[in-house]
Amino acid sequence: MADRLLALSGQALAIMLALLLGAIIILTINESPLRVLETLLRGAFGNEERIAGTLLQTTPILVCGIAACVSLRGGLFNIGIEGQLFMGGFAASWVGFSFALPPIVHMLVAIAFAAIAGIAWVAIPAYFRARFNTNEVVSTILGNYVAVLITSYLTIEIFKRPGGLPDTPPILPSAYLPELFSFSRLNWGLVIGIVLAVAAQLFFQRTSRGYAITEMGANPKFAEYGGIDIRRQTFLVLLASGAIGGLAGGIEALGVHHRFMEGFAPGFGFDGVIAALLANGSPIGTIATALFFGALRSGSLLLEVDTTASREIITVIQALIILAVSAQITIRRRAADSTAGERRWKF
Amino acid sequence: MEVLERLLNVSLIVATLRTTAPILLVSLGGSFTTKAGIFNIGLEGQMLVGAFFAVIGTIFSGSPWIGMLCGVLAAVVLAYVFALLVVTFQANEVVVGLALNILAGGITVSLLKAIFGTRGSIFGHGLIGLPIVHLPFARELGWFGQMISGYTPLVYVAFLLVPVLIVFYRHTRLGLYIRVVGEKPEAAEALGISISRIRYVASLICGVLAGLAGAHLSLGYTTMFTENMSAGRGFMAVAILIFSNGDPLKIVLGCLLFGFSDALSLRLQTLGISSYLVLAVPYLVALAALFALSYRARPRIIRETLATMGRVLSVKPAQESKG
Amino acid sequence: MPLAVELRSITKRFGSFVANENVSLAVERGSIHAIIGENGAGKTTLMNVLFGLLQPDEGEIRIDDQKVVLPNPAAAIAAGIGMVHQHFKLVPSLTVADNVFLGMEIRKRGLIDHPAQIERTAALSRQFGLQVDPGERVGLLSVGIEQRIEILKVLARGARTIILDEPTAVLTPQESRELFQTLRGFVAQGMTVLFISHHLEEVMEVSDTVTVLRDGKEVATRPTAGLSKPELVQMMVGRPVNFDRRPRQPSTGATVLEVRDLWARDDRRLAALRGVSFDVRAGEIVGIAGVAGNGQTELAEVIAGLRPASHGSISLAGQSLVGLSAREIRAAGVAHVPANRLLRGVDRNASIASNILMGRQGQRPWSRFGVIDQTYLTGQTRALITRFDIRTRGPDSPVKSLSGGNIQKVVLAREFSADARFLLVDQPTRGVDIGATEAIHGELMRQRAEGRAILLISVQLDELMALADRILVIFSGLVMDDLQGDGVSEEELGLLMAGVRPGAAPVAEVA
Repeated sequence: MADRLLALSGQALAIMLALLLGAIIILTINESPLRVLETLLRGAFGNEERIAGTLLQTTPILVCGIAACVSLRGGLFNIGIEGQLFMGGFAASWVGFSFALPPIVHMLVAIAFAAIAGIAWVAIPAYFRARFNTNEVVSTILGNYVAVLITSYLTIEIFKRPGGLPDTPPILPSAYLPELFSFSRLNWGLVIGIVLAVAAQLFFQRTSRGYAITEMGANPKFAEYGGIDIRRQTFLVLLASGAIGGLAGGIEALGVHHRFMEGFAPGFGFDGVIAALLANGSPIGTIATALFFGALRSGSLLLEVDTTASREIITVIQALIILAVSAQITIRRRAADSTAGERRWKF
Repeated sequence: MEVLERLLNVSLIVATLRTTAPILLVSLGGSFTTKAGIFNIGLEGQMLVGAFFAVIGTIFSGSPWIGMLCGVLAAVVLAYVFALLVVTFQANEVVVGLALNILAGGITVSLLKAIFGTRGSIFGHGLIGLPIVHLPFARELGWFGQMISGYTPLVYVAFLLVPVLIVFYRHTRLGLYIRVVGEKPEAAEALGISISRIRYVASLICGVLAGLAGAHLSLGYTTMFTENMSAGRGFMAVAILIFSNGDPLKIVLGCLLFGFSDALSLRLQTLGISSYLVLAVPYLVALAALFALSYRARPRIIRETLATMGRVLSVKPAQESKG
Repeated sequence: MPLAVELRSITKRFGSFVANENVSLAVERGSIHAIIGENGAGKTTLMNVLFGLLQPDEGEIRIDDQKVVLPNPAAAIAAGIGMVHQHFKLVPSLTVADNVFLGMEIRKRGLIDHPAQIERTAALSRQFGLQVDPGERVGLLSVGIEQRIEILKVLARGARTIILDEPTAVLTPQESRELFQTLRGFVAQGMTVLFISHHLEEVMEVSDTVTVLRDGKEVATRPTAGLSKPELVQMMVGRPVNFDRRPRQPSTGATVLEVRDLWARDDRRLAALRGVSFDVRAGEIVGIAGVAGNGQTELAEVIAGLRPASHGSISLAGQSLVGLSAREIRAAGVAHVPANRLLRGVDRNASIASNILMGRQGQRPWSRFGVIDQTYLTGQTRALITRFDIRTRGPDSPVKSLSGGNIQKVVLAREFSADARFLLVDQPTRGVDIGATEAIHGELMRQRAEGRAILLISVQLDELMALADRILVIFSGLVMDDLQGDGVSEEELGLLMAGVRPGAAPVAEVA
């Protein structure tokens, strides 16, 4: 318990340091850090609608974060969640506008297609990682660029809605994810995200497969020796991660946009990876980090309106936090155990 | 036939060399970190700040050379942070590299807005590119002269660096030490070669070249800065580094392949093929090369089996010759 | 006699652990001085202090009667000290000459002069009788030659005092003898040799003076002449040790493991096993003796399903194991104690309970419908901690908080509680203290008495002679001979381990 407290306080200190650095950067672009902070807070939590807006931004980050947690636990870096999200979003939209099915069934089919699209998109990098040990970081990152271009192509040149905007036709209401409140587009996606986080947490803590994946991430040689089929499990872990990434896209399409468009959900996949890293691979912890990043994002919308700062300043702050935490964790780890750190993804 | 002619001619070679140069510069930079045993996913961000600050420096000083210097300095600062976290704090390379890429993206866009009040891209504002070099003897060489003359200086720098690096790794002390640190750090340590110092040096040189690559992108290849204009070239460079293992000769071959696919895809666009699909070609080539070259490991097994069997058969064990 | 090196009251601590406590050492010039002690006695720490790799907390170092401070290896080298480490530090892609001159390259106009380096290496090689091909890439060479290169490296730096850390651990007895001859040549040229070992015979054979370390303290320094083996052992261990062998009777149990004409490759894809055949019966311990790196590890990995066999058959009580996965082989009744326990045997950051669970996480009653039964796991772990006498605070303690011996007990507890009929035990006591070694040996004998078939792979001959009913000697991937444990002499084993069969031509070694 004392260990955990120390870890958390260290983490908090690192975040403070990052915020301080962020403040300095904000000063250099001639803005007041306090005003930025105030605007961010107001933008994120100013009123009911803004809180709902924050949660709306949190949802895809959370789902992508869980996708990242799954791969990180197995010692793998799926950085292609962004691409899986785009493919999943497009697949769900396509089912949503192309078919007429009964309510609920339509939504479930669309969500299933989203997950399948995510799996399909990660399958080749996953196969090569499992079979030939091909670096999955690079292959999944490059896949992101292709996914964005392909979905743009499909949206603009194949399924373009008449009338000029780079959108697909709208999804039929029968496939919508129901909204939670009347005043916001906040929808059941958030509930799905939280349920997924809890389920993933239980999976890793309680089940034998979760144990096997965790041990593969911690010491693959040990896992292999214990009879775990590393290749097969590597493949499956990446597919599962891809499925959740695709699901995130489906939720975004069916719950928020109700169509697919160019520039659909930019950066959520990366934010998810960062949120999972900041939570050290813990799905429950990712709820908190995703909320934090969601608040930053939603606050940044007001930032653009009310100050001269650009909303990208929040990505600077996110990056600084990750950098500070990565260094801080190492210091603590080295103090505790000079030889630790086999888990490839630990900071 | 006509289509083929439109696609393949001297100007395609010229276009290939032009598109190869930026990725070649950044890959050669990455060669230093790869050889020193660092997985540097942060090339993308270093290139991006290089491109941005080269533009800023040029606009404020009026000289593209000073701009280039600014770009290099900015990339070196990022490379220094990378080395500080990865070498000194021993933080995870992938995490730090990704965070620095995100940082680079955020900072360039934020500053763009703070300085020029715009989003997207900047050009004009007195922005001038690096001068074009006309080789004096080129005109006498006919089409070959056409092919090798008339580029911005960094194109020449990129290609000339290849033989320089080959000599560097084989015949200089620093080159040797970089290889030793990457291949067998214990050996370096035992001989009193400071692993962290070598890794810092490798990271910083890498930053210089990534910065040059960025400056070339915004002052040579084009004369403008666009949001995220490195467009994954840093990641493609990492793919090249993985299958070239940092060897300069293999790097240049890999880069030419990308340059060619890039140049070719730009021409395909003129044939009316969707620009979205065309733009995906270089990424697909990178992926295909990455996968194909990891699959290559298969025939090696067969080769080695034959070698082993040959050796076993040539030296009969006493047990068998006795019985 | 002038002193080449003198250490006065050296103390070195790592946190609360005292690796060297008030150790003094005086080494005469022109002598071979052995430092002997058990694993963990502090030998290597002391030598690392002398070589500038570690800084002493207390005490002083004197070289040629001058007090010196050695902040790093470079300072030690400048003072004429050279060290050949236990694990070689050569760069495989570089040539022999490049390796020898690494860090002190010969340069011409700023560039490295490769031909000059090759020439100088050849000259050194001739002068000291260490035969190497200076232009060859190191990656292609054998361990014995790698050691020569390491020694050449030290000589090229002008060392007058050479420290060798367990130099014979990787050599055959014959290669060792060659090494000793080289070392005597050094001494004849006025140099000094410091020699770390835990091998009694070697020390008696080659050294002029012996210093014994135990638990980080210096026990005694004596001239080798006039010391007896039991005396040395008693000094090392602190009490007399019973080396007596137990009486043996041939096992009458059924054949459990049957290996026939087994071939396999190592990580470099070279033949590591070249047609190995043997049986292991219920209720017997079959020992595999051999110099490390002659196919033992590969043999264990192939049986355990962690490495494919390229040819041959393995069957367990009639069931073929070839081609089965590691999980299926475990299920068939094979338990495996791996040679490198930290790499393969445990997840050090996880709890003891987590480590006990490995391999059975999908089986009842450890889990039900895919959900782990935590209560059962904790209960079982507690029982195993008691039974195997694992010194720990409890099932939730991380494995990394345990000592080497106790980590090994965790591995044994997991593997021996699986109720497997065949136990594959690879180097069970490497790096384990005497107390834990005795406990582990006792446990092995208990398992034998319960009728399990045991294959015991060890590089420690005394361990094999104490435990094994039969000993197979493995050399270069071949089983040389099958000997009854009772009547074996160490000399006989030594020759076989070197590939020499009494009354036959030596087996050609396959690189």
